[in-house]
Amino acid sequence: MLPWNYGFDWNASHIIFLGAFYAVLAVVAATLAAAAIRSWHALRAGKAEAIRWHSDFESLPDGDRVCRHVLTGEFHHRQCPNAFCCGECATHANLIGRHPLPKVEEPEEEVCGMAFPLNRFYHRGHTWARLERDGTVLVGLDELGKRLLGQPDKLLLPRPGRQVHANGTAFQVRRRNAKVRVLSPVDGKVVETGSAERGWYLRIKPESNNVKAFQHLLRGAEIKPWILREMERLQLALTDEGASPALADGGVPVADIAASYPAADWDAVCGEMFLQG
Amino acid sequence: MGFVDKEFIARGLRRSSTGRFLLWILPWVALLVFGLYSAGLCLVKGLNQTNMDNRFAFGHWIFLDLAVIALGAGAFFTGFLLYILKIDELRAVINSAVVIGLVCYSGAMAVLAVDVGQPLRAWFTFWYPNVHSMLTEVTFCISCYLTVLLIEYLPIVLRNRKLRDVPSFLVFEHELHKLVYVLAGVGTFLSFFHQGSLGGLYGVLRGRPFAFREGLAVWPSTFFLFILSAAAVGPSFILLTTWMVEKLSRKRLVRPAVFGRLARVSGLLLAVYVLAKAVDTLVWINRTSPETGFQAWQYYSWKPFGTWILFAEIVLFGLLPALVMLTPRLRAHTGWLVTAAAMACCGVALNRFVMTVQTLALPTLSFDPYLSYFPSWQEIGTFLAVVAYGVLVYSFSFRYFNLFPEERELRLEAAAQEEEPALAGRY
Repeated sequence: MLPWNYGFDWNASHIIFLGAFYAVLAVVAATLAAAAIRSWHALRAGKAEAIRWHSDFESLPDGDRVCRHVLTGEFHHRQCPNAFCCGECATHANLIGRHPLPKVEEPEEEVCGMAFPLNRFYHRGHTWARLERDGTVLVGLDELGKRLLGQPDKLLLPRPGRQVHANGTAFQVRRRNAKVRVLSPVDGKVVETGSAERGWYLRIKPESNNVKAFQHLLRGAEIKPWILREMERLQLALTDEGASPALADGGVPVADIAASYPAADWDAVCGEMFLQG
Repeated sequence: MGFVDKEFIARGLRRSSTGRFLLWILPWVALLVFGLYSAGLCLVKGLNQTNMDNRFAFGHWIFLDLAVIALGAGAFFTGFLLYILKIDELRAVINSAVVIGLVCYSGAMAVLAVDVGQPLRAWFTFWYPNVHSMLTEVTFCISCYLTVLLIEYLPIVLRNRKLRDVPSFLVFEHELHKLVYVLAGVGTFLSFFHQGSLGGLYGVLRGRPFAFREGLAVWPSTFFLFILSAAAVGPSFILLTTWMVEKLSRKRLVRPAVFGRLARVSGLLLAVYVLAKAVDTLVWINRTSPETGFQAWQYYSWKPFGTWILFAEIVLFGLLPALVMLTPRLRAHTGWLVTAAAMACCGVALNRFVMTVQTLALPTLSFDPYLSYFPSWQEIGTFLAVVAYGVLVYSFSFRYFNLFPEERELRLEAAAQEEEPALAGRY
């Protein structure tokens, strides 16, 4: 039905009816076009990984999104409103300014029989980043991450020269039925790839060595309460899969946790622990 | 096969094995095939396959179409409450509401296409519209709203685990979702108008004094009553279907507070509707009907359409469920809540039946006989195809898309409760 077509008269009711109809069609078409144009711009600007992280973060259960200041006891309950991008968080800046993290004298923190060296920063998706003297950053799996994935069936590392984004995919691991996107702790360009034997997986030339580039990562006194909480989360994820580990009894996670729970849906467990959507 | 299928299921969601799923969909596929055969007969051989005639130009299909469209109103109304009024609790059911809306509207459109016939000339309704007919408004609004629902369904599909691996799908879904409030607004506008126009369709029938109503400007009172009743039962139908899916899948999908919120909204609107309907009925009994030469009691002397039907429509399936849903103590019991929601849904279906079938059955001229109507098996079969189609679309959506975003979290909460009650509060 168009103004020049059958049955149309230039009177108020026809104009209102057609006007409303065309307005609706125009709004729907404009919405689709706007979404398509914005997507094109986002893809060109390389924002896909950031969007994936934000989308994944929103779909995480509340328990996986707690603010780092809950771990240190500064809050009882607080959900992170910034997808773990603490650099954008005024509350974090305020709290760190008022109560800097206490110094830890030991070179490493031992939690549940796992060693966490304190000369590095930890991402909540179980990777670590260590700033090297040459200005590059080494990225590896933390001790709990290693034990969760055990001996990977397949490892997909990015080629040198590839750009990685903080909270975006650093590399991918396949273990049993689990396909895990291990999250990158920093922004930068991959300059070298490592292996499990070398103890690290990526050497990255970071976009910035500024302290702000590492602000979202955990360090020092935050590590122990974070790992204790992670152990609780692991216990929960395994319980949900029908396994009931007695971690509370003081047990130590075995080197290959996946192999110890052959019946568990390892994809679901890794999804929880590696913050996958 | 099982492994491939699992890769399409959202991480952390538990779904039945592929074999069990196939077993579940098999009878529905069989029903769909039977329904498509029935519809094919009607399209190829014509409406002589039905029991409709010149008197019963509207029958089983239109009655059920109207009922399904009213029940599908949960999609627009939940969207309106969530995106426009910002009732964030309803995020837990919005995806399911969109799928239900899509199924209801697309199913109704399919049946209308069979009813109207000549599908190759379907575009005539847009190109050569009868600008004096409420049905034109209905056709335009429903077509537009179905398009809106398809666009709203798109982000749900693109959120599928496998499809998200494609960066352009992921980004488009994200960008489209950011604009979904625009679609929710458009959907609300369209839904208000077509629900109203469907009601207006009956209210303007001067030759059928049982349905004819006075109103405001060009809109008879049925225009407003249809909008109100659809908005009232939409949330009830979402509540009912969510509960049914929980029972069938044996999973907790939403928190009790969501059921409570849906019931409160539904109960409140239903109470307003019952009041409006009661006033409308009184005006009709005392003024509109006598002015057309009929006393209202005459309509109810034709069995089986006695006054019981009026009582059932207003009190039994209107006032009663509204009171249950508005009483906190009763609302706290799932049994009462679900029964009330089911009664509200039955009420709207009964209302659409009365407006369609009873209106046409009653004689209006001195030489008119009272006519009853029962649909042919082809009519029933065609509608069963819509039911089967709805179950299949919903089943596939439930399996491969994350219809209930809180499902994963509720499972973890249950695990925490099982493991150690002290942990439960933290997760």
